Amino acid sequence: MLELLQLADSALPVGGAAHSFGLEALVEEGILDPHNLADFLSSYVAESGRLDAVYVRRAWRGEDIAGLTVELSARRPARESREASLKMGRRFAELFQALTGARMPSPVHYSIAFGAAGAVIGISEELVAQAYLQQCVTGLVSACQRLMPLGQVAASQMIWNLKSAILDAVSNSERLDGNCYSPLPELGSMRHASIETRLFIS
Amino acid sequence: MRVGDQQPPWRVVRAFPQDNGAALVHLHNVSGGVLSGDDLHLQIEVGPWARAQVTSTGATRLYRHRNGAASQQTTSIFVAEGGLLEYLPDAVIPFAGSRHLQQTRIVLAGGATLFAWEIIAPGRQAMGERFLFDSLRLHTRIETPHGPVLIEEFLLQPRARVLDSSARLGSYTHTATFYAVQAGRPGTDLRELERKLGEIAVQESRPGCTIWGTSALASDGVIVKGLSTTAHSLSATLAGFWAMAKIFLTGEEAVPPRKLK
Repeated sequence: MLELLQLADSALPVGGAAHSFGLEALVEEGILDPHNLADFLSSYVAESGRLDAVYVRRAWRGEDIAGLTVELSARRPARESREASLKMGRRFAELFQALTGARMPSPVHYSIAFGAAGAVIGISEELVAQAYLQQCVTGLVSACQRLMPLGQVAASQMIWNLKSAILDAVSNSERLDGNCYSPLPELGSMRHASIETRLFIS
Repeated sequence: MRVGDQQPPWRVVRAFPQDNGAALVHLHNVSGGVLSGDDLHLQIEVGPWARAQVTSTGATRLYRHRNGAASQQTTSIFVAEGGLLEYLPDAVIPFAGSRHLQQTRIVLAGGATLFAWEIIAPGRQAMGERFLFDSLRLHTRIETPHGPVLIEEFLLQPRARVLDSSARLGSYTHTATFYAVQAGRPGTDLRELERKLGEIAVQESRPGCTIWGTSALASDGVIVKGLSTTAHSLSATLAGFWAMAKIFLTGEEAVPPRKLK
């Protein structure tokens, strides 16, 4: 369990702090603000988060990592977000190998690497998927703190309140279907490059 | 062009030769729309180095379900080596109470090219319908010799999951998607095409009314997505993206179906 807590720490050096996954563009265009952020994150977890949880589960179950990565890349049409996930996946895989000696193929998406690592350290599939989404949400809220007026207590409260959304998303991911409907975040990622001054890579 | 087999309600209107040598084929649904319980199958094969443009004669209307029976449309497309397909149907309009599944699988052989678009409306806007359908499930898959380059799969159930969340549609109601794929095209070219299409996207976007974005896919192609509060001008803007992508990938002008001229 302590290993999982470390791997799911948002401070893990995999480059997560450099990415907003399209949120920066949504904030810039006035679509996302402190008032609708909680609703946004709840729906985001139900869509994009649930899809990631599917791939955490499939990797945990030992499916071919290269095949899963090609498939998830095809489900992530926005280049910046796709590349961010691959970069974080590569850094996570390298770090995990340095920590444990367990090798992981690359390229690999972050969620897939995380799921495979969870199996190696012997944590249950459900818990690994929950931990993955918890660190995702923490990373996104942290990005939002740099993009909009959102204090530390409010940010912590928001993450705290999203626990049930995370549990639901993980529970719903058990079907392993690839349904995901998140056109605005995808467009945010696609439009991110056109912002003149950017804080984030994606 | 050869029509292998056709059964009502679909009717293939004869092929019109285009100036560039391609065949323009209209698909007509003689029943006026997709009825509850319909199980429609469309299979298109484009031969080696052949060129075809397929469009519809009007919007695809998805009618209200009867006794719970959903409708279904399954489209299978294969484009052989060096072939080119332009698949440019009119908008899909899910009526109040409709339940529909649309599955599309497109396979491109080496050097084959695809330009395709899709527009989804929220319902019959003239009647004040907005997301009153029961369910709409779409599964689109595009494959090249590299493997799957695009998989889009979603289930919309507006009564169960609100669509106006800012993580889904926000205040927008219409979605438009355009794919330009050429099997084997190098990634550097795709980034350049993404940049060129991105310029149009910025030019045509009016946040709050219509926004466009574009991105290179993981390999072989580029996607353009748009969200709008209105159907107005979506087709014309998609045609602009298509024209740019076609010149870039093939060096040829796009020849729009007559209805878009």
